[in-house]
Amino acid sequence: MASQIVREWAGINTFAPATQTKLLELLGKLKQENVNTLTILVMGKGGVGKSSTVNSIIGERAVSISAFQSEGPRPVMVSRSRAGFTLNVIDTPGIIEGGYVNDQALEIIKRFLLNKTIDVLIYVDRLDVYRVDNLDRLVVKAITDSFGKGIWNKALVVLTHAQLSPPDGFPYEEFFTKRSEALLKVIRHGAGLKKDDSQASSIPVILAENSGRCNKNGSDEKILPNGTAWIPYLVQTVTEVVLNGCKSIYVDKKLIEGPDPNQRGKLLIPLIFALQFFLVMKPIERAIKKDIAKESRPSWETRDVSAGNRKF
Amino acid sequence: MASQMIREWAGINTFAPATQAKLLELLGKLKQENVNTLTILVMGKSGVGKSSTVNSVIGERAVSINPFQTEGVRPVMVSRSRAGFALNIIDTPGIIEGGYVNDQALEIIKCFLLNKTIDVLLYVDRLDAYRVDNLDRLVVKAITDSFGKEIWNKASIVLTHAQLSPPDGLPYEEFFSKRSEALIKTIRQAARLKKDDSQASSIPVILVENSGRCNKNDSDEKVLPNGTTWISYLVQRVTEIMLNGCKSIYVDKKLIEGPDPNQRGKLLIPLIFALQFFFVMKPIEGAIKKDISRESKPSWETRDVGAANRKF
Repeated sequence: MASQIVREWAGINTFAPATQTKLLELLGKLKQENVNTLTILVMGKGGVGKSSTVNSIIGERAVSISAFQSEGPRPVMVSRSRAGFTLNVIDTPGIIEGGYVNDQALEIIKRFLLNKTIDVLIYVDRLDVYRVDNLDRLVVKAITDSFGKGIWNKALVVLTHAQLSPPDGFPYEEFFTKRSEALLKVIRHGAGLKKDDSQASSIPVILAENSGRCNKNGSDEKILPNGTAWIPYLVQTVTEVVLNGCKSIYVDKKLIEGPDPNQRGKLLIPLIFALQFFLVMKPIERAIKKDIAKESRPSWETRDVSAGNRKF
Repeated sequence: MASQMIREWAGINTFAPATQAKLLELLGKLKQENVNTLTILVMGKSGVGKSSTVNSVIGERAVSINPFQTEGVRPVMVSRSRAGFALNIIDTPGIIEGGYVNDQALEIIKCFLLNKTIDVLLYVDRLDAYRVDNLDRLVVKAITDSFGKEIWNKASIVLTHAQLSPPDGLPYEEFFSKRSEALIKTIRQAARLKKDDSQASSIPVILVENSGRCNKNDSDEKVLPNGTTWISYLVQRVTEIMLNGCKSIYVDKKLIEGPDPNQRGKLLIPLIFALQFFFVMKPIEGAIKKDISRESKPSWETRDVGAANRKF
């Protein structure tokens, strides 16, 4: 692919000045650690707000969103640069559709990511959903099977529709905690992370409110019902995940195609054949020969000379 | 079952006076038409607000609700009477779970409904869901297969979380109509209602807001963003369905068990056997006998008298 000039991250200018300052500070911190580029992969079920979140981070309508249409089948990579730092955000179609993982969409995503490095995975879901079920497990399992367990070391969860009024009798913080716990439990389960794995307990959960109705604080920053300015908080958490010391996921051909099924157990073939030969075929041959020797022939068979020469 | 004293519909008293007046008027209308009892069946996916809706209509916390727990396994019938009129509302567990219809839950619901009559079906879903998919189709199909197509003549869609702020750029009414259209289309497809069937186009869609945060108008009635006082509107549409002239669904043993698989095509058995006898068995027998008579026997067989008498 011809190298393109990455567009300027103009969207930052649409943020409140306080937010802009915090973001540039975080970019500076990354460059200090010698990180000049950051690739974020955004995945999750359909209709949860992945594209909206990408647009909120980029600060412009970089990806098309439509409330009622299913997403397009292809992933989209949005790249922006600022002060020598390049940000790549990859928006993907929802990989679960009507009860099943959409394997075709998953293949398209994997192929799109060939030879790219995933620094951060953002798993998106809605805050205002009351149940987790097997479908969430399937999505998590599909992600784990595609990219390996290691991706959960570089992952964070984003819950959208965060400017919600919780159900009666539930304070906002309590609702958020219960929702996070339920989702993290499913992720732990679906990714096969053991309870004592440090990575399991430390997947951060970030709230996001992507609509224009998001409340703002005195400094004109978008804030959540609990007072947090969520855009800088999200970028801060992303920075922490990038610098947490775990390896980024390089998507090579081997990762995408998985192990070669022809190689699997190849060495066992001669061993099993030898076992079959000595322990099965030979005893059966011997038993058949013994039966033939013991067989009592009817009189007409021994009598007729021409038949005796006929072979079976 | 011993006949129980039905409790007084005390919950009405918790409504605004204007709402109470409208409700009692509607009850009166039903009694004029000689309808003294009304059984409403509430069904839908999990976590959409079925139990909350039941509690709102009854006016008390008749069914337990918990945002994060899956519903109980058994359906619950809540009965209240007022001025000689008996209202039965049957709350059911969500019948879809993690991508599949929960056949066991469906069986329990059908057994619960044995010998009851369903006057109105309320199909509940959320207003603030952005996608319809195969799961919705499965739920609708399960309902249609269990109770017959005719139940959609006595059905209404209920959309909860109606006090929603729609996504950016979509006015409330437009969002509502797009959501309704998508859902009605799904129902029509899954229940195989033909386009010209009057029942398909006339399934009413009712908005409800079950939380305590629901806005109120000057008469202290709970009101939606479009100004409708939804409790009385819901009861009004239910009344219209009750009096729409279509038959209520009586759930008898035959409906529940479906056709007896042993009876199916029983009359065809002797016919097929006769066909097999005359067109398959007899010709093959004849062909075998012809082959035997034409067979050239080897010399040793005709020679040995002893063998010729031996039977095969």
